[in-house]
Amino acid sequence: MIPIPHLTVMEESMSANKELNKASKGGKSSWRRDFKMNWRIYLLASPIVIYFIIFNYLPMGGLIMAFQKFSPVKGFFGSEWVGMDNFIQFFTAPDFLYVLRNTFVISLLGLLIGFPMSIVFALLLNEIQRTFFKKSVQFLSYMPYFVSTVVICGLVIDFVASNGIITNLLVKLGMERQNLLMNPNYFWGLNLLSDLWQGLGYGSIMFIAAISSVSQEQYEAAAIDGAGRMKRAWYVTIPGIMPVIITMLILRCGLIMTVGFDKILLLYNPSIYETADVIATNVQRMGLVKAQYGYSAAVGMFNSIVGTILLLVSNGISRKYADHSVL
Amino acid sequence: MVEKVSFSRIVFNILNYGFMLLICIICVAPLWHVMMASVSNPRELMSSTGLLLKPAGEITFKGYQLVFKNNNILTGYINTLFYVAATTIIGTVLTIIAGFTISRENMKLKTPITIMILFTMIFGGGLIPTYMLIRSLGMIDHSIAVILPGVINAFYIIMMKSSFEQLPASYEESAKIDGAGPLTILVKILVPLVKSTIAIIVMFTIVQQWNSWFPASIYLTRRRDLWPLQLFMREILVQNDTGKILSGSDALSKADYTINLVKYCVTIVGTLPILCIYPFTQKHFVKGVTLGGVKG
Repeated sequence: MIPIPHLTVMEESMSANKELNKASKGGKSSWRRDFKMNWRIYLLASPIVIYFIIFNYLPMGGLIMAFQKFSPVKGFFGSEWVGMDNFIQFFTAPDFLYVLRNTFVISLLGLLIGFPMSIVFALLLNEIQRTFFKKSVQFLSYMPYFVSTVVICGLVIDFVASNGIITNLLVKLGMERQNLLMNPNYFWGLNLLSDLWQGLGYGSIMFIAAISSVSQEQYEAAAIDGAGRMKRAWYVTIPGIMPVIITMLILRCGLIMTVGFDKILLLYNPSIYETADVIATNVQRMGLVKAQYGYSAAVGMFNSIVGTILLLVSNGISRKYADHSVL
Repeated sequence: MVEKVSFSRIVFNILNYGFMLLICIICVAPLWHVMMASVSNPRELMSSTGLLLKPAGEITFKGYQLVFKNNNILTGYINTLFYVAATTIIGTVLTIIAGFTISRENMKLKTPITIMILFTMIFGGGLIPTYMLIRSLGMIDHSIAVILPGVINAFYIIMMKSSFEQLPASYEESAKIDGAGPLTILVKILVPLVKSTIAIIVMFTIVQQWNSWFPASIYLTRRRDLWPLQLFMREILVQNDTGKILSGSDALSKADYTINLVKYCVTIVGTLPILCIYPFTQKHFVKGVTLGGVKG
């Protein structure tokens, strides 16, 4: 069972702290003793703490600009307070609904299509018995993960341009000649396919590892019972990796709001905003291109909050499931 | 175990091997096409319509000559190497220290520090407040803006922490008796024992930084001389602006067909180095993914 690292660790350390507190009942002297004993470790930790305060916690504090008509010249303390206006402006903006829809659709397509395909790929790869062939397939299918987003987008742009090789193929199949990236109907598909190309092998690594740790005895027992390889895959392998599947699925649910926004940023253009613009790209455009800082900070904050809620909820479900699976 | 090979099994095997082969072809084909196109005769390249299995026309390295003559690509390479080296060194050292400090026992601030680090994995200020911070720190248009923000990844710290915690305590006990301080223990005893985790972190940092373009695109807008390779590649491949890379070349070089060729060459020049290190890191890569479960 793969734990969801951050949250489980956090709970562990919280309970550990309670015990620690019980053991040494607070008091100034114990703090002094602690510092005397650990000052060198605190000294080592101080740059880390300072780093996190500056680069992670100051921006969180900076979120107050979401409630301001923020102007960089006036700063956080001089800018005019507008309450929830930025949020209201976002919720009533004409693009709010489609930006929200695109974020979810693009994420869920990856979840509902890309995710199962990785599992199927891992299962089918497990049926390959020639080690060299298997290793070669793994080697080649992980490789696209190392290609940069810029290059992948360059390839997509080149292949689906009005004279690109994918367009040429589709024209032969009867499509009208066009640049596919100019047509909003194709964006979700193109984004999904390029994600699959880059991530199918990578996504399967986890499952391949899980499959290899299913106990050999179970296979042998199933074989003695007369189960063929197909049945063994169905009755032994899949149940064996189910905890990993569930955990990964839930983890992915928690990451729905963090769509691969840098790829979209490179691929989209005004003519396909209606299907390609997601919350994160909207923030980038409103904030950094149009300099509406307060508004875009509010949009980003909305994104972060929904993302955090999804993460916590899915983690809760995961723990519940883990408890059930203990039975 | 002796198996009776049934007919359906044979059919399945054929289909399965075929499917795997197809996946491999799909993974390799686009890169192969680009590689072949980059050494093609530019005029014949323009008239080819399908996937290239071999170079169109006779092999020519004219595109690469143009790319390597160009200062942008060279600048981009040097900058990227610098950013990769800097983030890898700073990031790894800080991650080791952070993982070490939060793996210590009997330390009152252990939990608060751990929670402080972990919380950043759940919630963050987001793009705009971070941008404003970098701006008010005066880092805009300085290379430090590409290096420092994000150089420590909370996720790697947790990986580091758990590898430290898995080490038997006896390793450091004797050193403690000898009066060694925590830094000595860390550097001399613990770091060599967690080499494989460090290798994983180093590898992921290198790949991530080599391929990174977004921070540079927002923090280094006015300093082309500091741009990493990926930004120049974006200009050529995505924004379709080859004017700058071909500036100074003769009119013939600016013709459409040459521009096309240059794009393919740039793709190869920017991708090949990272693909060359991939075979050597595959083991760490797989281990890292399995250890982590999530992308950083």
